Amino acid sequence: MREYAFFLGCIAPNRYPGAEAASYKTAERLGIKLLDLEGASCCPAPGAFGSIDLNVWYAMAARNLVLAEQMKKDIALICNGCYKSIWEVNHKLKHNKELRDGVNEVLKGIDMEFKGTIDVWHLAELFYDPNIVGVDKIRDSVKVPLTGTRIAVHYGCHLMKPRKERHFGTTEHPTWLEEMVAALGAEPVEYRNKMLCCGAGGGVRGYDLVHSLDITNEKMINLREAGVDALTEVCPFCQLQFDRGQIEMEEKFGVKYNLPVLHYCELLGLAQGMTPQELALDLHAISCEPFLKKVL
Amino acid sequence: MARTKGYPEPLEKKLRDTRLYEEDTNPQFTKTVEKISMTIPHMCYQCGTCTASCPSAPRSSYRIRKFVRRALLGLEEEALTDPDLWLCTTCYSCTDRCPRDIAPTDVIMAMRNLAFKRDIIPVNFLKTVQAIYTTGHGVPNNDVNRAARKKLGLHPEPPTTHRFAQYIKGIQYILDYFELKKNADRIVKEREG
Repeated sequence: MREYAFFLGCIAPNRYPGAEAASYKTAERLGIKLLDLEGASCCPAPGAFGSIDLNVWYAMAARNLVLAEQMKKDIALICNGCYKSIWEVNHKLKHNKELRDGVNEVLKGIDMEFKGTIDVWHLAELFYDPNIVGVDKIRDSVKVPLTGTRIAVHYGCHLMKPRKERHFGTTEHPTWLEEMVAALGAEPVEYRNKMLCCGAGGGVRGYDLVHSLDITNEKMINLREAGVDALTEVCPFCQLQFDRGQIEMEEKFGVKYNLPVLHYCELLGLAQGMTPQELALDLHAISCEPFLKKVL
Repeated sequence: MARTKGYPEPLEKKLRDTRLYEEDTNPQFTKTVEKISMTIPHMCYQCGTCTASCPSAPRSSYRIRKFVRRALLGLEEEALTDPDLWLCTTCYSCTDRCPRDIAPTDVIMAMRNLAFKRDIIPVNFLKTVQAIYTTGHGVPNNDVNRAARKKLGLHPEPPTTHRFAQYIKGIQYILDYFELKKNADRIVKEREG
């Protein structure tokens, strides 16, 4: 069993706890144990904090990284926004001495020092990596195949972009998450402009909700054209934007889609036999019932 | 979706005149932006691939290419007082496609940092700071969620600063070190009374 410090972030534990519960269980079935990262905080939000003062963003993210360094464990997380903060600050501080010294000057005041001894991973990339889990093992873990459902994938932005800094290959037309959806027995569905942003990032959701929802709406129109039963993603903030966003879009634009939105860990949980109650799917703003009827 | 954007009056006037005046340029601005962003806007040849890739461009007057040009020419006032500065979702599509290997997204982030130094910042950004100062979380827990967590067999408070509040001190230290909470409180009070 591989062990990782589980960095929770904010939206998964505080808005979609089912995604958190599913992560522990699905990962454990695939040979990954997620340990509590005691005292972790917000990553902090890369859009809000990065916009205000990058130096604060570096220092705050470094504090979370040091907590995992003290545990001597790599970090695993389930949110693209957290990945942007935690992975990227780890990467920058490891490779930029001036930046690292500056951050350590701040951390000194709370008896901490960033040493650069751990790595950071998104749980989805650990699931996909054949040296750790791999698609075959995901397929083998399925008890309730999602046969007969059409599922679209939203990759989000901050996991794979900027491409040259990351290690995921193409950001124009990736297909690795589709492979992971197909492993659950569902049919992955392509749709127009699938790499388009959800619209929430960079503080835009808070700054100009209508503008942000208009981007989401474009995605929803493309998804409707493709005809899908559910949308899956690997970022609780994207999930919030698509899920609660549908209620807000109804208010602001008078459009209704009723498209269930599930984190990949929730989807995997369902396929591994977890019940909707064990995933707290009733907390989703958009009912997952039509999708569940097809599956269960 | 195109809406009027309500520029500050002097800027509105300025933008109608597309000529470049030397007295508007501040070469230091280019250097500062490059230092903070760790990217190279002076390499831009204005091809517009960034704007063409931008999810905000089709639904607003936000043009990332213009902001990179402002960085290159040192047009500090124009860059920092333009409300469109805050419409970047930081999706990094422009960065992935830039043929000159510039990271326009990081140029925007650097400009936002510089705008904040002049108190130019939307209030929602500061409210996130205030939430994190008190709870450690930008999106804190609530009672509905605590009940749901219990039903799932999870502890009602996640093992973060929510369950281990003694760690909040460290966060407050960092935010106070940069005087961020003080400034956030001041600006929110000025705007909202």
